[in-house]
Amino acid sequence: MPLITTRALTKRYAGNVTALDGLTVEIGEGVIGLVGANGAGKSTLIKILLGLLPATEGEARVLDLDAATQGSAIRELVGYMPEHDCLPPDVSATEFVSHMGRVSGLPAGAARERTADVLRHVGLYEERYRPIGGYSTGMKQRVKLAQALVHDPRLLLLDEPTNGLDPAGRDEMLALIERIGRDFGITVIIASHLLGEIERVATWLVAIDAGRLLRTAQLTDFTERTGQLLVETDEDATPLAQRLGERGIEAHADGRNMVVDIASAGDGEFTVYDAVRDESVALSLALIRIEHRRHQLEDLFRDA
Amino acid sequence: MMPDSTGTIYDIGYRGYDGPRLGRRGAIGAIVSAGLRAVFGLGRSGRSKILPWGAVVLAVLPAGVAVAIRVLAGDLIDLYSYDNYLWGIGALMPIFIAAQAPELVVNDMRHRVLPLYFSRPISRLEYVAAKLAAMSLALLALTLLPVLLLFFGRVLAAEDALAAVGDEIGALPAIIGSGVLHAVVLASIGLAICSVAGRRAYAAGAVLAVFLVGGVMGGTFGSQGGGLEAIAPFVNPLAILDGAREWLFGGSVMESPVGAAGVPMYLYGLAVAVLIAVSWAVLAMRYRSVAT
Repeated sequence: MPLITTRALTKRYAGNVTALDGLTVEIGEGVIGLVGANGAGKSTLIKILLGLLPATEGEARVLDLDAATQGSAIRELVGYMPEHDCLPPDVSATEFVSHMGRVSGLPAGAARERTADVLRHVGLYEERYRPIGGYSTGMKQRVKLAQALVHDPRLLLLDEPTNGLDPAGRDEMLALIERIGRDFGITVIIASHLLGEIERVATWLVAIDAGRLLRTAQLTDFTERTGQLLVETDEDATPLAQRLGERGIEAHADGRNMVVDIASAGDGEFTVYDAVRDESVALSLALIRIEHRRHQLEDLFRDA
Repeated sequence: MMPDSTGTIYDIGYRGYDGPRLGRRGAIGAIVSAGLRAVFGLGRSGRSKILPWGAVVLAVLPAGVAVAIRVLAGDLIDLYSYDNYLWGIGALMPIFIAAQAPELVVNDMRHRVLPLYFSRPISRLEYVAAKLAAMSLALLALTLLPVLLLFFGRVLAAEDALAAVGDEIGALPAIIGSGVLHAVVLASIGLAICSVAGRRAYAAGAVLAVFLVGGVMGGTFGSQGGGLEAIAPFVNPLAILDGAREWLFGGSVMESPVGAAGVPMYLYGLAVAVLIAVSWAVLAMRYRSVAT
């Protein structure tokens, strides 16, 4: 049973701007990376899923509820972390998160308990009693995540969660998201325009472009070996590629890098390794790196 | 010391929540009670309690004095009746609203907290209604509490309290009705003005301006004569409310411009309806335009 299903989902804004264009997709459990350039329709999709924006055409179901008519029931079970700043400066994290827990429908006592738990999980300790106005960007992002988690949602929608963070803060936020998906058992959808981040934490990928589904794939498949060998030398690799070609091995040089098709040798990958070694010795080329080439997310967009 | 983000303290395990979920009713209740706490500065610094509680004390004080005089001097003088009490403490209301209403709406708007509210079970209108309810309930501390105190004081100060209940009880519906009317209308006007002001200071200034200008213009028109006294009450929200109170429950107030205006009383009811309609329309439009 998919957590989210959309069928021919279309959203046109006034002025004939099409944000979503017949998007049909099924999203299951896990950590899902929703990738797309800025303006690809990620935020529009999130708002429709939350029942905050009516679709122009098509249908969206979240947790088996209709986003158009059962938005309130959906929002009770979904946590949302917006991209922009959204915290009042003059209250403490404890007070704010517990209030948002109650606004999500938790009784007062439960909201207090879960606030303490959740703030600890996101890594806010003594500072949680101080007004949010004095927090660093990293701490604010954690509070934003905590308020989305406080009511124990079944689904978490994070819009560009690493925005504005320094590299260390980015790493911590991604580690936290991975933990939420893996250990807390909550399905997380991360909308991001940064492929590298998605690659690190997501188990599934949904790529959209101009409001249309570009690709959906399990990421483990995706970053598997490609059957290509990546060779880096200390000088121009063109002569090496030519010599390999004479041996019947398909190789393409690009400056000091060369991509070798392992299958083209016919009789196993070790033949290819030996050939690369022998020919570079013959040419007095120093080998810097030999490795199996893996798919990278960028390939997705290149093929498409 | 900042613990490492993957340190042992993290590994307490995540606990889910299987308890009851109160949905939109719980959400509205939470916003109302948080709103009341904000208005009265509860859980905040001592400084933010001074104004709201000072206003409540000042509003209640005349009732205390009136009851004390009645106890000491009997029925000789009656400074305050149920009818003129709210007009008498009228000046406190704009001050209370100007200081405390921005607390309820400006921060959520200015710091873009609203999308977090809207991503929860409630709708935009329910959010606004909850804020209105909070402000109205808070205003009852000025528009109902003192008059109720006056009521109980008069009953308890009487020689025969039981007979006094019989004498005074007839006034109770008017006391409650007028208190609620003032609270709801003033809360609506106050929140509507604050919702279009970008910052707390602007909001406070705008509320004071509306009531001050209304009061001064009303006073000037009233003393001009030549027909202007007929429209004098209608430029001052507090005078409109006094007229509506008199229309609904009777009992004229000497100092209010309503008496001198001499227009049909139902016009005040109409004016109140317009005030509420305009305020609510402003609120609805303002909150509909907030991006999620």
